[in-house]
Amino acid sequence: MRKIIATLIFSFFLSTFCLGSVISDIDRSDIELSTRFDGTSLLVFGAISPGDDRASLLIEVVGPLTSVDIRKKVQLWGIWVNKNIAQFRGIPSFYQISISNPEHPVLKEIEYQKLKSIFHDYLETNSILENENSAEQYHNELARLKKKLGNLSMFEEKINVIDNKLFSYKVNLPKKIYPGVYKIKMTLIDQEGIELSNSEQNVNVSKVGLQKFLSSNSKNSPVFYGLFSVIIALFLGFSAAQLFRWLYR
Amino acid sequence: MQIFLPIADVPVDLFVLLILGASVGFLSGVFGIGGGFLMTPLLIFLGIPAAVAVATEANQIAASSFSGVLAHLKRRAVDFKMGNILVVGGLLGSAVGVEIFRIIKSYGQIELFVSLCYILFLGSIGTLMFLESLSTIQRARKPHNILKHRKKHNWVHGLPFKTKFKSSKLYISAIPPVIIGFFIGILASIMGVGGGFILIPAMIYILGMPTKVVIGTSLYQIMFITAFTTFMHATQNKTVDLLLALILIVGGVLGAQLGARVTVKLKAEEIRILLAIIVLLVCLKLALDLIMMPSELFSITYSGQS
Repeated sequence: MRKIIATLIFSFFLSTFCLGSVISDIDRSDIELSTRFDGTSLLVFGAISPGDDRASLLIEVVGPLTSVDIRKKVQLWGIWVNKNIAQFRGIPSFYQISISNPEHPVLKEIEYQKLKSIFHDYLETNSILENENSAEQYHNELARLKKKLGNLSMFEEKINVIDNKLFSYKVNLPKKIYPGVYKIKMTLIDQEGIELSNSEQNVNVSKVGLQKFLSSNSKNSPVFYGLFSVIIALFLGFSAAQLFRWLYR
Repeated sequence: MQIFLPIADVPVDLFVLLILGASVGFLSGVFGIGGGFLMTPLLIFLGIPAAVAVATEANQIAASSFSGVLAHLKRRAVDFKMGNILVVGGLLGSAVGVEIFRIIKSYGQIELFVSLCYILFLGSIGTLMFLESLSTIQRARKPHNILKHRKKHNWVHGLPFKTKFKSSKLYISAIPPVIIGFFIGILASIMGVGGGFILIPAMIYILGMPTKVVIGTSLYQIMFITAFTTFMHATQNKTVDLLLALILIVGGVLGAQLGARVTVKLKAEEIRILLAIIVLLVCLKLALDLIMMPSELFSITYSGQS
C-alpha cells in the first residue's frame, strides 16, 4: 500500500512536468500458481500528462504465447467426431485491452488492427478451406471461445481516470492461466489513434510448490516422474494394508 | 475446495474427487471388483481429459491392487509361477497398448477411442452379466435343473511348452497365460482398468485354475501391469496426474474398507444384476454423449507453449 501511495504521489508530480507522457506501476510483479490457485487480480496504476485533453489511454495485457488448435465436431457414421480444422500459432494465451475513452473516434479501427496483428495473422488451416468454414468463422469462434474462458476481453473493462491525470485499472485473471511473463502495455494515443507515449510493466506468473514439482518433472524428467508415481502408489497401497490390518487386529 | 490438477490442467473440487473415489471404492468393496472401469468414465464425465483419466487410473489401481495382494499373500492364495507368466505377457501387452494410445493421441482422437472401447466392453460385459444372473435366478426357482459342469480338459491342454503350476495343481502350456496376460496388458493401458473382469473368468474357464488362488493371482498380475502401465504412460504420453491419483487413492482406500465391512443382504445373483445395471448405465451415458448433437460444436485446445 505504501508503495502505491508513494508511486501515486511521485507520478502526480512527474505528470505535471512531462507533457504527453504516461508512467505506471503494478501492485505485484509476481503471481504464484499453486494447486489452490483460483484466479486472481492485479492492480495497474499510474499517471498520464496528456498534451491536450483529447488524448486517450489504451491498456493491453498480453499473456505468454501458445498455440491453439480449433476443432469442430462433425458427424461420422452417426457419432460426433472431433476434427482439427485450424491452428493459431503463437498467439497470447490471455489478452485484454481497454481504453479510457470508450467514445474514441477510431475505436473500431483499433480493435480490428489489434485482433488482426495479434490473432488473425497467425491462422493456419489444415486443409483447403471448406465452403462452410471461412477464415472469418475461425476468428469468430476463437474469439467467442476465448471470451467464454475469460481469456479474451476487448474493451469490456473500465479504466478509472481521476482528473484526467491519475488512472487505475484492475486486471482479473481467470482460474486457468499459463505461466510466463504477462506484459502490461500502456499507450497514450491521440484522436487519430497515433501513439504519443507508452509504458510497460511485466508480471511474472510461475508455478510453485507441488504444482511446479509435478508439472515440471512430468515434462522434463518423465522417467523419474513415472518411477516416483509408481513408488508413491505402491507405498500408499502398502500403508493402507498395514493400517487396516492394525485397526482390525 | 477448488484445486488445480497440474497435469490434467483443470480445476476440480477436492471433495467431489474424494467422494467419487470413496463411492467407487465402496462399490468395489461390496461387489469385489476393481472399479477402474467405473472410475475412468466418471473422471471423463467430470471433465478430466480421457488420456489423463486412463493413465492416472492405472496409477490408482497399482496402489489398490498392491494392498489387495498383501492380504492374499498372507493366505497363501497367490500362484507366483502363473502370476509371473501372466506378467510377462502383460508387460508386452502394456507396451503395445501405450504405443497404440500414443499414436491415436497424436491424431487428436483419444477421447473418441477411449469412449468407443468403453462402450464396447461395458456394453457387452454388462449385457452378459445381466443375462447370466437372470438365468441363474430363474434356474434357482426350478431346483431340478442340473448345473452344467465345467470341462476339466479343453483345447488349452493340447498346446506345447507345458509346465507345472504347483499352487494351481495344473499341468498346462505356458502359451495361453502369456496370451491372456498380453490382452490384459493392452486393456490396462488403453482403458485404465485392472482387467479383473476379463482376467478372472479367463483364469477359471480357460486355464482351469482353482477359485481359491484366482483372485490373489489376478491382483498380483494387475499390480505389476498397472505399475508398468503408469510408468509407460508417464514416459510416453506424460499424462499421469499424481495429485489426482493421490486423492483417488485416499478416497478409494476408505471407501473400499467401508464397502468390505458392510453386510449386504442380497444374493450373489442380485448383486451381479445391480452391478450389471450400473455398468450398462455408464455405457449408455458414454454412448449418448457420442450420438447426441453436442451443444458446442467448436472447441479450442492449447497445443503447447511456444
